[in-house]
Amino acid sequence: MGTPIIQIENVSKSFGSLSVLNGLSFDVASGEKLALIGPSGSGKTTILRLLMTLETINDGVIYIDGEPLWHMEKAGMLVPADETHLHKMRAKIGMVFQLFNLFPHKTVLENVTLAPTLTGKLSKPDANNLALELLDMVGLADKAEQKPAQLSGGQKQRVAIARALALKPKIMLFDEVTSALDPELVEEVLNVMHRLAAETDMTMLLVTHEMSFARDFADRVLFFDGGRIVEQGKPEEIFSNPQQERTQSFLKKIVAGGRQI
Amino acid sequence: MEWDWDFVWEILPTLAKGVIITIQATLLGSVLAMVLGLFTALARRSPSKWISAPMFVFNDFIRGTPLLVQLYFLFFILPDLGILLSPLAAGVIGLGIHYSAYISEVYGAGIDNVSKGQWEASKAVNLTVPQTWRHVILPQAIPPMIPALANYFVAMFKETPLLAAITVIELMNAARSVANESYRYLEPMTLVGVFFLLVSIPCVLMLRHLEKRFAPNDQR
Repeated sequence: MGTPIIQIENVSKSFGSLSVLNGLSFDVASGEKLALIGPSGSGKTTILRLLMTLETINDGVIYIDGEPLWHMEKAGMLVPADETHLHKMRAKIGMVFQLFNLFPHKTVLENVTLAPTLTGKLSKPDANNLALELLDMVGLADKAEQKPAQLSGGQKQRVAIARALALKPKIMLFDEVTSALDPELVEEVLNVMHRLAAETDMTMLLVTHEMSFARDFADRVLFFDGGRIVEQGKPEEIFSNPQQERTQSFLKKIVAGGRQI
Repeated sequence: MEWDWDFVWEILPTLAKGVIITIQATLLGSVLAMVLGLFTALARRSPSKWISAPMFVFNDFIRGTPLLVQLYFLFFILPDLGILLSPLAAGVIGLGIHYSAYISEVYGAGIDNVSKGQWEASKAVNLTVPQTWRHVILPQAIPPMIPALANYFVAMFKETPLLAAITVIELMNAARSVANESYRYLEPMTLVGVFFLLVSIPCVLMLRHLEKRFAPNDQR
């Protein structure tokens, strides 16, 4: 397995007086597909946001590929990272958001090509080719010239996936990517993610309330509550035979709430 | 009192000079207001309270006092402090500062209107902060600002007669002086009104068009 691609060590994060994560530690192996489940406010989304550097870390260290994400090594000491370091580290990570966050003033194609061309990774024609390839993969090559407002929620989210993939990240973060979708549109997004999981060796972290999807998709499931990992294991263990009382009652509530496992 | 066309032709050249000053004051004042407004809008977003707080106070102070009083300060009181401005310069600076306070709000609202998710998405695709401003935030923030900006420029244009109070010979002052000399107010004041209407009406029509064109659409 080698070094884990993500090492989270003793990480704490609070918003004002509200402590969300408190000394959290776990590793993610390269290529692993990880599902983070748990009640709202359990800190799972905060982990993704810390990894994408959307929130600042309060305490602890996160290593990506063995290199500290939020810190730099200076004379043997870890000091807070500057923007240059963060910029370099962000290149390894991509994220798909609950509310898509597409660029509404750009076409679908431009949404995908903007970052690769601006970061100087690709020439315009190369970026266009790559974007069309990715849009084809998510089944939206014919929408390339449309604006996001003309797309359905499921289509928007598939474009958002293509946009994140265009930078060829090693790690992809999916933050409740189907929660804002009409039920009949969830499937098309999950299909794309399934394909992605099967066809690439990207490391994928998924925060979700779609338990059946988490079960098929993940190599490992982490159940969070109150900013801690209450229980973790293979999906079949967690979903069929949860050991912890809190995991059991959470899964029961989700079934009672009409969601299937 | 009867309308006297001969008198109209006689005073027209004097009024035309006033028109030029009125237009100059509006254009220069607008440019100054846009630049100053941008400066204060950015300063108000500064993470440092020492920079942002005085800007909030400045804007509230400017918006809470009449333009006429501000013009008097610039023209009659600044010279006591050794700063001597020509009437037109004082007028342009007065208009510029006064409207910058409003325009600063327009900029701020335009920028705030772009959702936080746009900043986050830009970070997630690893754009730098300047790239995010240029390619993501400003292209979305500016179009909705345009009708509001245009609205303030029309308002500024209609307030230029206040400059007469600090001896700028703009249209209103020119009209008043010919009226004072001839004791005829009908023609000069009518011409002033007609001129303002002729400029404002197309502006208002254009504004309506802009408002429709840049109506906010789906932000996602």
